[in-house]
Amino acid sequence: MKSLRSFLIAALLAAAAVALATTAGAGPTVGDCQECHGDKTMEKSLPDGRTLSLFVDGNLFRESVHGKAECTACHTDATVPHGKLAAVACGRCHPDAQKSYSQSTHGIAHAKGVKDVPGCEDCHGKHDIRKVQDPKARTFRLNIVGVCLKCHEDRVIEEKYGLPDQKVMEAYRNSVHGMASKKSGLLGAAVCPDCHGNHMILPGDQPRSATHRQNIPTLCGKCHSGILEEYELSVHGKGMRAGIAESPVCTDCHGEHTITKITDPRSKVYVMNIPKTCTACHGNEAISTRYALPKKRFSTYMDSFHGVALEYGMTKAANCASCHGFHKILPSSDPASTVNKANLPKTCGKCHPNAGVNFAKGDIHVEVTPEKAMGVFAVRIFYTIFIGVLIILFVLHVGMDLLGRRRRLETKPEEKKE
Amino acid sequence: MSEKSRGPVYVERMSILFRIQHLLLMISLLVLAITGFALMYYENALAQVLIRLEGGVLYRGIIHRSAAVFLMAQLVYHAFYMLISREGKRELKEIWLTRRDFDDFLQAMRYNLGMGNEYPRFGKYGYKEKFQYWGATAGVFLISVTGMILWAETFSMRFLPKFVLDLTLIIHGYQGLLIFVILLFWHLYIVHLHPSVFPMNWAWLTGKVDAEWIREEHPLEYEKLKGEGVL
Repeated sequence: MKSLRSFLIAALLAAAAVALATTAGAGPTVGDCQECHGDKTMEKSLPDGRTLSLFVDGNLFRESVHGKAECTACHTDATVPHGKLAAVACGRCHPDAQKSYSQSTHGIAHAKGVKDVPGCEDCHGKHDIRKVQDPKARTFRLNIVGVCLKCHEDRVIEEKYGLPDQKVMEAYRNSVHGMASKKSGLLGAAVCPDCHGNHMILPGDQPRSATHRQNIPTLCGKCHSGILEEYELSVHGKGMRAGIAESPVCTDCHGEHTITKITDPRSKVYVMNIPKTCTACHGNEAISTRYALPKKRFSTYMDSFHGVALEYGMTKAANCASCHGFHKILPSSDPASTVNKANLPKTCGKCHPNAGVNFAKGDIHVEVTPEKAMGVFAVRIFYTIFIGVLIILFVLHVGMDLLGRRRRLETKPEEKKE
Repeated sequence: MSEKSRGPVYVERMSILFRIQHLLLMISLLVLAITGFALMYYENALAQVLIRLEGGVLYRGIIHRSAAVFLMAQLVYHAFYMLISREGKRELKEIWLTRRDFDDFLQAMRYNLGMGNEYPRFGKYGYKEKFQYWGATAGVFLISVTGMILWAETFSMRFLPKFVLDLTLIIHGYQGLLIFVILLFWHLYIVHLHPSVFPMNWAWLTGKVDAEWIREEHPLEYEKLKGEGVL
């Protein structure tokens, strides 16, 4: 037994010694590297005449997420001294990120050798990589927008690759998300990767993209989950899930980068802009015909006092959403709909407390045709004819009266003679 | 002495009270027309300018309803005045619509077309004045009723279905147009454009008219005044 124990100890010691010897022999330590790379003036001349600093800030490195590792963990071929090293392959340790990246629009371009496209280090940094939760990290929520915009607000790059222009980026800065992030430092505010993804960024027209139409409600619902729940119950949500391409998703009404608070007059869903936003689809002949939607909703609304009042800035006048709801819009045939006949007294009652069951009789959007609103149509026709005929009679009367007057004046002298 | 060589003699046609009523009526009807048609034809560029001038739809409504209250008050005052006061009773008798006015109207038309030889002889108010007075009164009454229904919309909604309110709104608007047409084509003709008064009958300001005009246009009134010794 004794011999076995002493053998084991000896074996362990030997293994440790071998391990030590291997490490020591395999390459330089951080300290070794810093002997040269700790020198701020260390640089290399590039063929095009520029110089490349070879300085590595040791303190920043030690604070970084990789600070406890040796340089050779990444620069596997480094020796003291060394010539040009092979490119660092982050994917050796981060294979998932590498895989996602390679399928992304950045990764595909990178593989084709496009130089302007970002690799790992352009977003994460090199020796100073920090965890995404670290406020000092480039990829920290409050810093990432600046990292993305470094390229995406570069006019040369935008033009070269046909990217969305600066207006889009500017819109984001002024949006409710951009302002909340930048001005208020809210960590919950959506920043670029929240919607576009991080490693797996794809243009919105590709079905796998996080920002593809089909994925938008789920995407926004990551944060706005209560609203997503309502939306899923709505006619729009059900339509969208059924694959109806025209069925609106969040961004159709709220905008994308331009999203602002609904109290902001620039918002597509600001009270004054709602009728126009809804009409984009509901006034579209093709859409309303294909899905058998009721027509003339906009013109009949605008002809009503609500429409006129809203147009002239009376914001408390009812707009589409006041009656139909917004996220949970249901067709009037649905008993749960706010505009179902049975619910109209309640819906109208929000503003007109006396509106009873009796009031809800008759159309709300009054389309003045004999079939839809005979009464109004008849009264309108009656008055138009009546007033028209009256005007003709008045003019005739004036003519006849003048004629008669002339006759009276002509006959008067005769009377005098008698 | 022939009547022509005499200087013009003026007789009172509108007392000061009627002139004041007329002036107030004119002002309130104009305000109501401007604010009302601006809303009725809100799509029109001029209407949009008017609505902005009136301070937007909210203030337009307040102005319109204030003028309406004023007009209705005048209507009530006028009704009582015509029924109770001595002057009013006399005027009511003069303006009261009778079978004779329709006969006069037909006779006048026949004469105007050369089918009759006798032009009707009118009293203080001929068919032109009477038709206008009663037409406008009925119109103002109808527009007041519909206007009040629309104004008290929260009250109306308790009893009236929406389609009745839709009808009320349409009637209110077209009734306004009707009154406007009467004023434009009928009233403006008889007090402004008619050759006997052109450019206008000054009675609404001075209260007086030329006796000669009365003799020509309202001969029965002329004879009555002569009989009373006024002339």
